[in-house]
Amino acid sequence: MSALRVLLARLRGKGRTPAELKGEIAAHLAMLAADHERRGLAPSEARAAAKRDFGPVLRLEETYQEQRRLPFLDTLAQDVSYALRQLRRNPGFTLAAVLTLALGIGANSAIYQVLDAVVYRSLPVRDAKAIVEVSLLENGEGIHVSYPFYRDMAAQQKVFDGMIAVSDFPLRQAVLRGRGALRSVKGSLVTGNYFAVLGVAARQGRVFTAEDDRPGAPPVMVLSDAFWAREFGRSQAALGQVLEINGASGTVIGVAPQEFFGETVGSLPDLWLPIGFQPLFTPGDWLNAPSHSWLTMLGRLRPGVSLRQAELALAPIYGGIAELTVHKPGRDYLVQVHSASRGIAALGERFGKPLWVLMGLTGLVLLIACNNLANLMMGRAAARTQEIGVRLALGAGRARIARQLLTEGLLISLAGAALALLLAWQGARGLVAWASSSGDWRLSLSFDPRHVAFTAALAMGATCLFALAPAWASTRVDVHSALQAGQRAGGGRFRNRFGRVLVVAQLCFSLTLLSAAALLSQSLWNLRHQDFGYDTRNVMAADIPLEMTRAVMTRRTALRQPLYERMNAIPGVRSAALSAFGMLSSMVHSCNLSTAERPTQRDDFTRMVHVSAGYFETAGTRILAGRGISDADRAADPKIVVIGRTAARALFGNGNALGRLISTGRTFETKDALLVVGVAQDVRFSNPRDPYGFVLYVPMTQNPAPVTTVLVRAGLGAQGQGGPGLAGGIRAAFHEVDSTLLVGAIHPLGESVEAHLGNEKLLALLSLCFGVLALALTAVGVYSVIAYAAQRRTQEIGIRLALGAARRAVSWMMLRDVAALALAGTALGAVGAMAVTRGLRGMLFAFQASAYWWLVSAGAILLVIALAAGYIPARRAARLDPMSALRQQ
Amino acid sequence: MGNREVPYGTLDLMVLKTLEGLGAQHGYGIARRIEQMSDGALALNQGTIYPALLRLEQKGWIAAEWGASENNRKARFYSITRAGRRQLAEETENWARTVAMMARLLESES
Repeated sequence: MSALRVLLARLRGKGRTPAELKGEIAAHLAMLAADHERRGLAPSEARAAAKRDFGPVLRLEETYQEQRRLPFLDTLAQDVSYALRQLRRNPGFTLAAVLTLALGIGANSAIYQVLDAVVYRSLPVRDAKAIVEVSLLENGEGIHVSYPFYRDMAAQQKVFDGMIAVSDFPLRQAVLRGRGALRSVKGSLVTGNYFAVLGVAARQGRVFTAEDDRPGAPPVMVLSDAFWAREFGRSQAALGQVLEINGASGTVIGVAPQEFFGETVGSLPDLWLPIGFQPLFTPGDWLNAPSHSWLTMLGRLRPGVSLRQAELALAPIYGGIAELTVHKPGRDYLVQVHSASRGIAALGERFGKPLWVLMGLTGLVLLIACNNLANLMMGRAAARTQEIGVRLALGAGRARIARQLLTEGLLISLAGAALALLLAWQGARGLVAWASSSGDWRLSLSFDPRHVAFTAALAMGATCLFALAPAWASTRVDVHSALQAGQRAGGGRFRNRFGRVLVVAQLCFSLTLLSAAALLSQSLWNLRHQDFGYDTRNVMAADIPLEMTRAVMTRRTALRQPLYERMNAIPGVRSAALSAFGMLSSMVHSCNLSTAERPTQRDDFTRMVHVSAGYFETAGTRILAGRGISDADRAADPKIVVIGRTAARALFGNGNALGRLISTGRTFETKDALLVVGVAQDVRFSNPRDPYGFVLYVPMTQNPAPVTTVLVRAGLGAQGQGGPGLAGGIRAAFHEVDSTLLVGAIHPLGESVEAHLGNEKLLALLSLCFGVLALALTAVGVYSVIAYAAQRRTQEIGIRLALGAARRAVSWMMLRDVAALALAGTALGAVGAMAVTRGLRGMLFAFQASAYWWLVSAGAILLVIALAAGYIPARRAARLDPMSALRQQ
Repeated sequence: MGNREVPYGTLDLMVLKTLEGLGAQHGYGIARRIEQMSDGALALNQGTIYPALLRLEQKGWIAAEWGASENNRKARFYSITRAGRRQLAEETENWARTVAMMARLLESES
């Protein structure tokens, strides 16, 4: 208590400054002298007597000022300047240490930033905690709801301060016309109260009100900040402009705040439009159609209402309006309310786990880096043994010396953390750019004090790991021997033992990291070298954004034949085909699948692909039985279908599927039955790791659909196989057929596959880089520990050699040491490897027992490298000249 | 000489007692008073009371302010605070107990 008061008094600078104290002393002396004079001394004698009585002034001033200062701050300044001097004297060490730490901390911090943005950041809206998503679950899976359903639920509920509905479905691939070249934009349809309920105000102009969403209101739109910047250079002139989206015009009334990305993490629309304008963009009126499920619902909880209470309150309302949205007999429906304070976590589901794996990997790298630094610090402390011995002999406290060394570590950490922040800033952006290059999502990263705090915490933790033990160990010096023996005795047994612990830990971490690298790489290899069910070689794919207006849909249907003929006429093309909702495209057409014996099952998921003639030949999907789809399948003919192998198995077992009838209704109806004419091999439909599912291929002639993809297979030996030449030819062909058509990317089909492997590639690549780095660091660690051990045993080795020991025996003696360390490290690492295998198992594609051989080889590689690193100093020890070794002591 | 040094830790107590008796005093006044009271039994380097004064001030047992001395020099005047009085009472009691105990101990030894 009183110690605290003293500290506070010192902090406030209580007591006299040197000048004030001098004045006080002068007054004291004068009064004292005056008293002496009064007692009869001459003035000069009185002054002398006063000085004598007072005592030494200089020393008093010194003690006095010392008592005023904060001893802690004082010595801190001393420690810092001393540490800076030491670090400057060893620029190589300092640079290596700072860079190692910066890499280790920076990598962690970068991953944390991305993880934070993807999984943990709150929506930038007013009181984000109260925002919830209201989901309708069908057999436990969330499904979209219809507009009438939303309208009635919003009107009847009493637990929310407003409910909103959103959908980016109709305008996900919208086309912006009238501003130069056609552009693809991403729009989101929202209810008029969207911004008001979220509590988001306009950055420029205004946001929607309920009025904007009334029938007959003039069409308006709000731009995202990014789109405003891209399209209008953030100019005020954007407000009031009329934009033509999918053929409908709307006026720009406002711009959303920069940090607002919508309600779904990663979606970042270019513009928002009131939901009432849906009929302008898509054929049909979905606002009054219970059969159209396309909306996501959110709400703002009233204060004091819990999630559970809201659910209980909504359940009876659902019971009354269940018929207003999709409601299939035999399925279970449930209204669920869950927090959406961080937005709808579309990205979190997709990237959360890989990011955690990355976080784990970078954490291991940081541990290894700290390990190495500890070793370096240990070496430095040992080199300073003599100096430390002198200082201890002169009476310096051990704690003080340890603190000085710790200050050095802290400074290194600080510099490393500062550099790490820069690296992390760049790294996080690089990571997002890499991962989002496939293009279906965007993420904005913003500066957050929490990222700095995280980095600082990491730096502090790292300092404790790498500097604490060496600092303390270095003061465990026997003063006498330190002064006598000088550097060679340095650090002593403790350093030796501590170094060994470090090496074993390093080997263990490295093996864990290498195992992760081996498993992830193998998984990537398996993903790439499988039979996708289509042949990506020599095939180019052209995407056509799906603009869902009636005019365009009709027009595209009409384009089918000319497009097909023109594409097949491109020189060097072996075959070309059109498809709608085919593999690897972002939109899927799902349907039911039933036969007379087997109605649609609860968990069925069937995809329908509309294809032109020549599709199977062009895509390289093998027909296992029967035939593919050809020019001969005319619109007027009886309807046919080619089914995938998995569907054929499920419907007909091992029996012959050909000639059988299927229906795309929930139950079998003869009148709309399709005749199975072929069975195609299974395909990895949505991405290379997609499990095989039910796929139906129907001729476009019989089932009209807008073309979404054109596939072109180059002839073998043709010029510019699948290269830019062919892409140009395809683009020209499009232009010739319809110059108003917006064509998206034209790229080799293999690229689409690769684009879906972003996560896997990133994980494999980073884990390999980290693994190699860990190997290098471990080699250095083993080398330095064995070299140190050899140095310590110089005399012993000299004696052995002098007594006639074979050099081979000496190096074997040293190597045994290395082997013991390496085996211990590898054994511990095997435990880590097992943990990693278990943790990653669910993420690995086609995991097989053979993966264990990869782990064993990783261990073997590590052993070999450790032995090699240890062999160098061991051999050098054996080559000692015994005489000079003995003389050294 | 040895018997005339200030016993360790007693200077603070003496300063507090002096201030309690005399009221606000400057450094010289305190030193002079202590010397008088000890009747020449203490050889006090008068300067040593300044670190003691600072120590007491930092602990909040005395307060200081500027004033004018008898010969009209600017000087710091120190006075005891409430906390200081409490501390003095406590210390006095401790001291008395210690002295009594020492006396008993020394008597029985002789």
